[in-house]
Amino acid sequence: MKATYQWLARLIAIGVVLQAAFIAFGMFEISNMVGDGKAFTEDSDPTAGIALHGLFGGMIIPLLVLLMLIVSFFAKVPGGVQLALATLGLVVLQVVLGFVSAPAPVLGLLHGINAFVLAGVAGFAGGRAGQATSPAPRAETTAAA
Amino acid sequence: MIEPRRRWWRGPRLRLAVGIVASAAIVATVGWFWYGSLVPSTYSVMDMGYVDAGGGPAGGHDHAGGTSVAELTGPVDGTPDVAVTLTARQEEFALASGEQVDGYTLNHTSPGPPIRATEGDLVEVTLVNESISDGATLHWHGLDVPNAEDGVAGVTQDAVPVGGRHVYRFRADDPGSYWYHSHQASHEQVKGGLFGALVIAPRAGTGGIEVVAPVHTYDGRRTVAGYTGVQRVAAAAGEQALVRVANTDNGTLRLSVTGAPYRVVALDARDLHQPTDLTDRAVRLAAGGRADLAVTAPADGSAVRVDFGAGAALVIGPSEAPEPPAAELDATVDFLSYGSPAELGLDPGAADRRFELRIGRRPGFLDGRPGLWWTMNGRLFPDVPMYLVREGDVAVMTISNSSGEGHPMHLHGHHVVVLSRNGEPATGGPWWTDSLDVEDGETYQVAFVADNPGVWMDHCHNLPHAVEGMIVHLAYEGVTTPYLVGGDADNQPE
Repeated sequence: MKATYQWLARLIAIGVVLQAAFIAFGMFEISNMVGDGKAFTEDSDPTAGIALHGLFGGMIIPLLVLLMLIVSFFAKVPGGVQLALATLGLVVLQVVLGFVSAPAPVLGLLHGINAFVLAGVAGFAGGRAGQATSPAPRAETTAAA
Repeated sequence: MIEPRRRWWRGPRLRLAVGIVASAAIVATVGWFWYGSLVPSTYSVMDMGYVDAGGGPAGGHDHAGGTSVAELTGPVDGTPDVAVTLTARQEEFALASGEQVDGYTLNHTSPGPPIRATEGDLVEVTLVNESISDGATLHWHGLDVPNAEDGVAGVTQDAVPVGGRHVYRFRADDPGSYWYHSHQASHEQVKGGLFGALVIAPRAGTGGIEVVAPVHTYDGRRTVAGYTGVQRVAAAAGEQALVRVANTDNGTLRLSVTGAPYRVVALDARDLHQPTDLTDRAVRLAAGGRADLAVTAPADGSAVRVDFGAGAALVIGPSEAPEPPAAELDATVDFLSYGSPAELGLDPGAADRRFELRIGRRPGFLDGRPGLWWTMNGRLFPDVPMYLVREGDVAVMTISNSSGEGHPMHLHGHHVVVLSRNGEPATGGPWWTDSLDVEDGETYQVAFVADNPGVWMDHCHNLPHAVEGMIVHLAYEGVTTPYLVGGDADNQPE
């Protein structure tokens, strides 16, 4: 269970990295299109990067964080449930920011910054699970006497 | 020392039990919402959502008896004054300016051939589906035809299968600019080119130069009447041209007229009353809407330019006049105060029905898919309102939008008049519309007369939004539809 928790946390952190990659790809696709004389309008299909960003952000990462929360109940990782809840909260915040930024683009700045916070917390949770699985050997300091 | 007995409700067993219960709660909740959102593949729009009688009498939502939509046809007898056959195909075609597009054509062209009639004519259009595997229909956008001629697959007819045909007959009662398009898998077929212009000239005629300008963006390339780029329209100095613009795309169109003052003489096929000259102001035209611009070539022999965005423009003037530079104007015309008031022809104070439509957005499941979806009065598709009216009713509807983006709302079969926006009353020439852009944060109050019995769609004309369930219906007491969404004909109106 600890290993599952660790991997879910890591996948979420990797997912955030992919999200950044997808959206950069999507933006460059638009600039390429525009350079080709095409207009990007309400009628345009979302570019591949934008579509992937929407898929991962709206479905895959939320699903992973829900699974992480469920696994945290059984994984016995110190602080594991709290970290899973924190990750869930940040994912919710990220999704909300993703949608309220459409009418208020300046909020997109927060969407960008929160991505790093989310990746950090998920990564930290994964690290915590890793420690719990294989703790570093401690110097024996028993008062043997 | 005696060891105290382990209490079963402490320690690891409790943690496990709580964990199982919490997980089950999460899965059950998500699963319950997921299951509740599923939409059957075949259903009747009469069974969708809930009935909103707007404070009026609520009887007559019968499934048996009453009038069937199939009976509400146009004139059955009479020789047509205008008879057209449109053969629909799914094929690759070239735009008039040469670019190749993979889409849909009518009589091998996109836009399809313009249909022209004069006020009072009996129009007969035969749609033949030669190769569109999803089926096709034709809807007369803005024309308040009898319900059975409205062309909505699954509501007023079955989609025409490959090899089939459907005959539409209607009288061209209201002169103005319209367009026609498929209403089967419309988000795909309209985008792919299954549309055309429809112009009904007044009996007295318009005289002078007339430019029919349906605007459509094919794969990022904006066209006006099928051509990309700048087109020249020859006009003598001082000569007036009537430019009938139809927005066939999903997004709002910005029309920037530079080089001379101009007037908007009609919106959505309804003349504006005493429109004044406009300078340095653009027209924001909602998706599906039409604007008739009276543009005059300047007396000094220069040309006037109408920019449609994305490089498409019309330059109107003598052929030797230099091409004016492209422009995109920021300031826009506010139709709430453009022109001067005239008789509405209805009394909103004596409304028989008062409806509310609140457009929003929230997370949830739409037919099993998670996401952030549009809500109509707080509910996701298919739990949307069906507004009930009786023939002759005057209805007032308040439409508000807090969904984060603007939506062009299109009511079939009727025109509505704008009474106010955000509480500010309309003071201009009556703003009659069938395609109204409701921006984020805006509230419109509109009124209409229920003078066209049937079952009518009212939906966002940013068609991908309609696919996501941004639809409501207007239904008349005692009228039912025998058609089904899905079913053997595989009707998919959006």
